[in-house]
Amino acid sequence: MVSQAEWHLPRSLEELPISSPRYIGKPVRKVEAPPLLTGRAQFADDLDLPGMLHCAILRSPYGHARIKRIDVSAALELPGVVAVVTGQDMQQWVRPMGGIPSGWGTHCLAVDKVRFVGEPIAAVAAVDRHTAEDALDLIEVEFEPLPAVVNALEAKEEGAPLLYEDKGTNVMFHRLFTWGDAAKAFQEADHVLTEQFRWHRLGANPIETFGVIAQWDPVENAVTCWGSFQAPSFSAMGIAGALGLPLSKVKLVPMAHGGSFGGKGNPRGALIAAVLSRKAGGRPVKWIEDRLEYLMAGGGQAWERFYEASIAVKNDGTILGIRIKLVDDIGASGENSGAISAIKPLAAFTGCYAIPAAQYEVTMVATNKNPQSAYRGMGPPAHYVVLEGMVDIAARHLGLDPAEMRRRNFIPPDRFPYTIPSGNEYDSGNYPALLDRLLEMSSYQELRRQQEELRRQGRLVGLGLVSAVEPGAFNMNVYTILGVPAGTAVPEGATVALDPFGSVRVTVGFALEGQGQYTFVTQLMADYFCVTPDQVKVTCTDTLSAPVHFGPGGSRLAVALTGAVLGAAEALRRKLETAASYLLGCEPGQVEMMDGMLRVKGQPERRMSWQEVVGAMSARPDLFPPGMDLSTQATYVWVPPDRNMPDEQGRAKSYLTAAAACHLALVEVDPETGKVDVLKYWVVDDCGTRLNPATVAGMTQGGVAQGIGAALMEEYVYDADGQLLTTTFMDYLLPTIYEVPPVESAEMVTPSPFTPLGVKGMGEGPMISAPAAVICAVNDALAPLGVRVTDVPASPARVWQAIAQARGQG
Amino acid sequence: MSKKHAIRLTVNGRQYEAEVEPRVTLVDFLRHQLGLTGTHVGCEHGVCGACTVMVNGRAVRSCLMLAVQADGAEVVTIEGLSEDGRLHPIQEAFAEAHGLQCGFCTPGFVMSAYELLTRESEVDEGTIKEVLGGVLCRCTGYKAIYESVQLAARKMGKMPA
Repeated sequence: MVSQAEWHLPRSLEELPISSPRYIGKPVRKVEAPPLLTGRAQFADDLDLPGMLHCAILRSPYGHARIKRIDVSAALELPGVVAVVTGQDMQQWVRPMGGIPSGWGTHCLAVDKVRFVGEPIAAVAAVDRHTAEDALDLIEVEFEPLPAVVNALEAKEEGAPLLYEDKGTNVMFHRLFTWGDAAKAFQEADHVLTEQFRWHRLGANPIETFGVIAQWDPVENAVTCWGSFQAPSFSAMGIAGALGLPLSKVKLVPMAHGGSFGGKGNPRGALIAAVLSRKAGGRPVKWIEDRLEYLMAGGGQAWERFYEASIAVKNDGTILGIRIKLVDDIGASGENSGAISAIKPLAAFTGCYAIPAAQYEVTMVATNKNPQSAYRGMGPPAHYVVLEGMVDIAARHLGLDPAEMRRRNFIPPDRFPYTIPSGNEYDSGNYPALLDRLLEMSSYQELRRQQEELRRQGRLVGLGLVSAVEPGAFNMNVYTILGVPAGTAVPEGATVALDPFGSVRVTVGFALEGQGQYTFVTQLMADYFCVTPDQVKVTCTDTLSAPVHFGPGGSRLAVALTGAVLGAAEALRRKLETAASYLLGCEPGQVEMMDGMLRVKGQPERRMSWQEVVGAMSARPDLFPPGMDLSTQATYVWVPPDRNMPDEQGRAKSYLTAAAACHLALVEVDPETGKVDVLKYWVVDDCGTRLNPATVAGMTQGGVAQGIGAALMEEYVYDADGQLLTTTFMDYLLPTIYEVPPVESAEMVTPSPFTPLGVKGMGEGPMISAPAAVICAVNDALAPLGVRVTDVPASPARVWQAIAQARGQG
Repeated sequence: MSKKHAIRLTVNGRQYEAEVEPRVTLVDFLRHQLGLTGTHVGCEHGVCGACTVMVNGRAVRSCLMLAVQADGAEVVTIEGLSEDGRLHPIQEAFAEAHGLQCGFCTPGFVMSAYELLTRESEVDEGTIKEVLGGVLCRCTGYKAIYESVQLAARKMGKMPA
C-alpha cells in the first residue's frame, strides 16, 4: 500500500503521462446508466437471501412519554413471527449510539422514555412484512404521556420539560466564537442593520428510503449488513461500536443507492435488524423503511433554526463585520450528524467577502422531534440565506445595487490563498469575474429595466443575486469542537490493478449513488493507461476488503477519489518504469511512460507497451532481479494535505477547496395567493478543473431544484404536542418539473493549487446558493411594498401574510 | 394472514399464474413474487411515480393497485423494454442526454415516457411536461429528463427534429 503526501500527484491534466486527454474533461456518458435504465442495478430491497425474515418497527405515537409497560407475548404467538425485541433487550445487546454533540446519543430502541413521534420502541422479525406489521398491532404498550417541548426557544429556558432529566437542561451545546475585532467593527460602522430569520425543518428525502439486510453469524460472533450505506466504513465503525464488536467482525456491503444527500445515516435500522437476526438464530433480517417512517423518524430532517443577524457597514458599502446568533433545534438526540451542520459554516462564514471581523453564537437545543440529520450542503444553505440576506438589506439601505454591493466587498483575486476570519483558507478563486460573467449572461441591466416597467404595472417581480463559497473536500477537524473523535484526515482509498490483456480494474469502497464517480474514474484511467473505457471496470467491495475510505459526502469525492486513483496509477507507473528498464536493458530511471508505452528517455524507438511489461511481470519473474516487487496492482489512500486542528476560537484549515458560484433568480409573486414562481435561473460557477462537464451541469440543475424546494415548498410541520403533520408527499412537498425552470449556466475555471488535477468539490454548491438566491428574489419582489419574508420556506401563506401586512390587512 | 387468490396475467410477454394475498400490491407482487425488481417503490402512496408500469396499455402506479386487480391483465415493466441488452430508444435517449443520476426514479420516468410515446402520434413540450409532472426526481432537477424524453420523441418520430 502506498500512502504518501498528496502533493506528488499531477496538478493538472497537462501533467498526466499522455499527449492529450481523450476522455477526462469531456461530457462522457455515464457508465452507471445502462444497469439503472434497464432495472438491473441492485438496490437494498432487491436482494433476497435464503431464509430471510422481514422486520417491522413499532413506533412512538407520543412526542414525549414514559413507557410504563411493554407486553410482546401476543405478538410472539402470531404464526410467522420469529423474534421480537424491545428496549429492555437492547440494553443487553447494544450500547447506546454515540452522539453529536458528544454525550447526547441514545438507544436504538427506546428505554423507559420516548422522546419523539416515530421513535422505535419494539421490532418484530417475521416471515413476511405483512405478518411483521400484523404483529406490531399485538404489542401492548402502556404510556404515561409527558408534556412535550417542540420550540427550541422555549426548550432552552429553565423550567421547560426536560428530555433527559439527568442532564438538567435541554441545551446540548453553547459557544460564542469571536474572530477579529468585532466590537471595533460595529463601533466604527456608519450603519448597523439587524434582522431575524427563521429556517424551518426540511430534509433530504431521496426517492429510495433507507434499507438494510442484517445477518448475524452466531458462530463467528460477527454481522454482515447489505444496505443503502452512503459512507460504509464510517457506518461500520458506528455499528461495531454499538454492538461491541471489533471492526473485523462487521462487514458492510454497500448496495446501489437511490440517492442519499446525507439523509440515510440513521444507525437504528441496521442495529435493530442485526439484533433481530441474532435473536432469530442467524437468519437474515430485512428492514426497508417506508416513506412514512422516513419522513417521521428517518435520516430525513435537517436544520431548524432561529437566527438573529447584524451587519456593520460603511457608507460606501464596505462590510466591516457580521454577527450571527443561531439557536438550532437539533431534536430529540444527537444520534444523527445534524449538529455538524451548525459548525460547518465556519469553513465559509464570511462567504465571498473580505469581511475582517465576525461573531457566531451557537446554541443547540434538544426538543421532542426527530433528531436532525445531514442534508446536502450541511448548514451553509441556511447560513447563506442569512449572510446574503443581510448583504441585500445593507445594499437596499445604502441605495446600492446588490451586484455592486457584492463587488465592493469581494476578496480580490490576487489575495488567494486567503484565510477568512473563522480560520479556513480558500485555495483560489476569482469572484469579480464570476459576477461579470453572470451579469453578462443574464443581461442583468436589461432585466432590471424590465423589472421597473413591470413594477409600474403593479407586478411583483424580483431578482435575487447571490455569491457563495462552497467548502469542498471536507475535513473532520473542526467537528472536534462538538466532541467528534477525529483528526485532520478524511481518507479515500482506491486499488488499481492491471492485467496483461489490457484491463484496468479499480476497487473502491462506496456504491453507485448518482454523481457519476465511476464514470470519471473510468475516464481518468482510460486516459492514463491509454485504453478504451470498456477496458476499465470500477467495482465496489465490502468494508472488510475495501481500501480505507469515506465515500461521497461533503463535496469531496471528485477531489479525494481523483487523488486515490491517480496515486495508485502513479505508483503503478513507477513500478512499470522500473520493470521496463530491465526488459529494455537500460538503467532504472532511464524509462518513462507516455501514452501507454514505456520508452527509454531520449530514445523513443526503444519502447514496449505497459501490457507487455505487465505480462512479463506476471509470467516471467526470471527476467527481474530477485526480490523485486512484481505485483501489478497498487492501493493509494488520499488524505487532504496540510490541515490542522482548531484553535481556541475554532479556527482551522478545514475544507481543502473553495468552489464558488454566482446565482441569479428571477421570480414573480402572485399578490392574491402569495405563490412564488421561479421564472428564470442563471448560474456561473467555478469548481476548478471539470472532470465531466455533463455531470457538473446535472448536479447544478439538481441542486438548484433542491434549493427551490427549500426556499419555497419543503417543511416538516409539528403541532404543539410533537405530532408530525407532514407525513406524506402530499404534505411534504418536493419540487416537480413545474416548479423548476431549466438553469442557464456557464463555467469559469480557476484550478485549485492544492488538489490533484486542480479539481474542487462541487456537489453541494448549487444547493448552498439557491435558497439564498430565491429568498433574495422574493424580497426584491416585495421591496416596493416595504415588507420582507424572513421565514424559509417562503410558502404562499407566509408571502400572502407579508403582502396583507403591507396592505394593512395583516 | 388471509386467503390467497389465484391470478393469471402476462408480464413482459410471459404468462404467469400465481397465488396472492388480497392485500399484496401489484408492485410487491412484481418485485417479490416474480423477482422483477426493476420497478421501484418510492412512497407507497401514489405521489412519486417511481413504481409506474404499463397495465393494458396505460401507465399505472403499481403501488396503488392490488395484484388481484391485475388478474387477466397485460403488464409491461422496465425489464420488458430492452431486448437482449439492447436499449429501447427511450432508454438510449436517457443515457445519451444524461437523464438520470442515482437512477432510482428512472424506471418510473422511462415507463411514463413509454406510455406517452407509444400512445400519441405526436408530442410537444406541454404534453411531455404534463407526463413528467407526475413523477418525482430528487437528483436531476428534471431538465435532463425533459431533454431525454424530447430526444426519444425525435428518435421515435413523434416530434420534429
